[in-house]
Amino acid sequence: MHLWLGFAVAALVLWGVTGVTQKLSTNRISSERSFLWFCWAMVALSVAVLVVARPHWGLGTLAVACSMAGGALNGLGAWTSFRALESGGKASIVISLISLYPLLTVVLAVLLLGERLTWTQTAGAVIAIAAAILLSIEAPQNAEM
Amino acid sequence: MLGAQMGTRSEQRENQIVRKRKMPRWLLWSLVTIVLWGAWGLVSKVASGGMDAYVNQLLYTAGLAPLLVFVAWTVHRHSTQEKGEHRSMGVFWAFLTGILGGVGNLFFFQAMVAGGKASVVAPVTALFPMITVLLALIFLNERLGRVQWLGLALAFVAIYLLSA
Repeated sequence: MHLWLGFAVAALVLWGVTGVTQKLSTNRISSERSFLWFCWAMVALSVAVLVVARPHWGLGTLAVACSMAGGALNGLGAWTSFRALESGGKASIVISLISLYPLLTVVLAVLLLGERLTWTQTAGAVIAIAAAILLSIEAPQNAEM
Repeated sequence: MLGAQMGTRSEQRENQIVRKRKMPRWLLWSLVTIVLWGAWGLVSKVASGGMDAYVNQLLYTAGLAPLLVFVAWTVHRHSTQEKGEHRSMGVFWAFLTGILGGVGNLFFFQAMVAGGKASVVAPVTALFPMITVLLALIFLNERLGRVQWLGLALAFVAIYLLSA
C-alpha cells in the first residue's frame, strides 16, 4: 500500500467520525457555537503541534500563502454549507451537492498542476464522487432497511 | 428590426433577472461551498510542496483566525438560550469535532507531502461519509437506505481503483 494512501485513509476515518460528533454537538447547541468551538479546538491543536512536534520552518512565500488560504477557504466553506442548510436547503440535497467539491479539485489539479491520472484512477475518482453523493442521501423513512 | 432586436434583448435581460431571482439561496450557498472546498484541495497540494504537515496545520489555523473572530462576535451578539448540561456536552462534542478534524487535516496534508496527487487524495478523503454512515448505524441507531448501501459498496470499489 502506498504511504500517501494510508494517510488519506486515516484522514477519511477521522473526518468520518466528526460527522457523528458534529451531529451530537448540533443536537445540543447552535451551529454557530459548534463552529466556534470547532475553531477553538483547531487553535488548541495548533498550540500542541507547536510545542510537541517542533515543526521545520523553511518556507516559501507561495507555500505560506497557499496554506493560509487553505484554512480560510476550508473554514469559509464550512460556514457557507451551514448557510445553505439554514436557507432552506434539504440536508439530503445540500450535502449531496457539496460532495461534488473533489470534482473541482480534480479539474484544477489537472489544469493548473499538470497532474495526470491513469484510466483506473479516473474511474476511481468518478466512482468515489458518486459514492460520496449516494452516501450523503438521507434514507426516506418508508424505505429504510 | 433594431427595435425588435432591442426588445428581444431587454426581454432576455428581464428573463435573466427573473431567473437570477428564482435561484434559491441554498443553491447559491451550496455552489459557493463547492468552489471554496474545491480550491482548498488545490492550494493544500501547492502548500505541501514547501512545508511539512505540522507547519501547514499551523498556517491553516492562522488562515481560519479571521473567521473565528467573526463567528465569536456573531455568537456573542446572538447569545442563545442553551443552558446547563446540554450546552456543556454540546461544547464538548464540538471541541472533539475540531480535534478530530484537525488531526484529520494533518493526515490529509501528510498524504499530499508523501506524494499523493491532489486529484486522487481529494476524492479518496471525500469518502468520509462512509465512516459517518457506519458509525451512525452502530451508535446512533440510524438505518440505511438502499441508495446508501450502494454508496458504501461503490466507496470500497473507488478506494481499490484509486490505490491501483
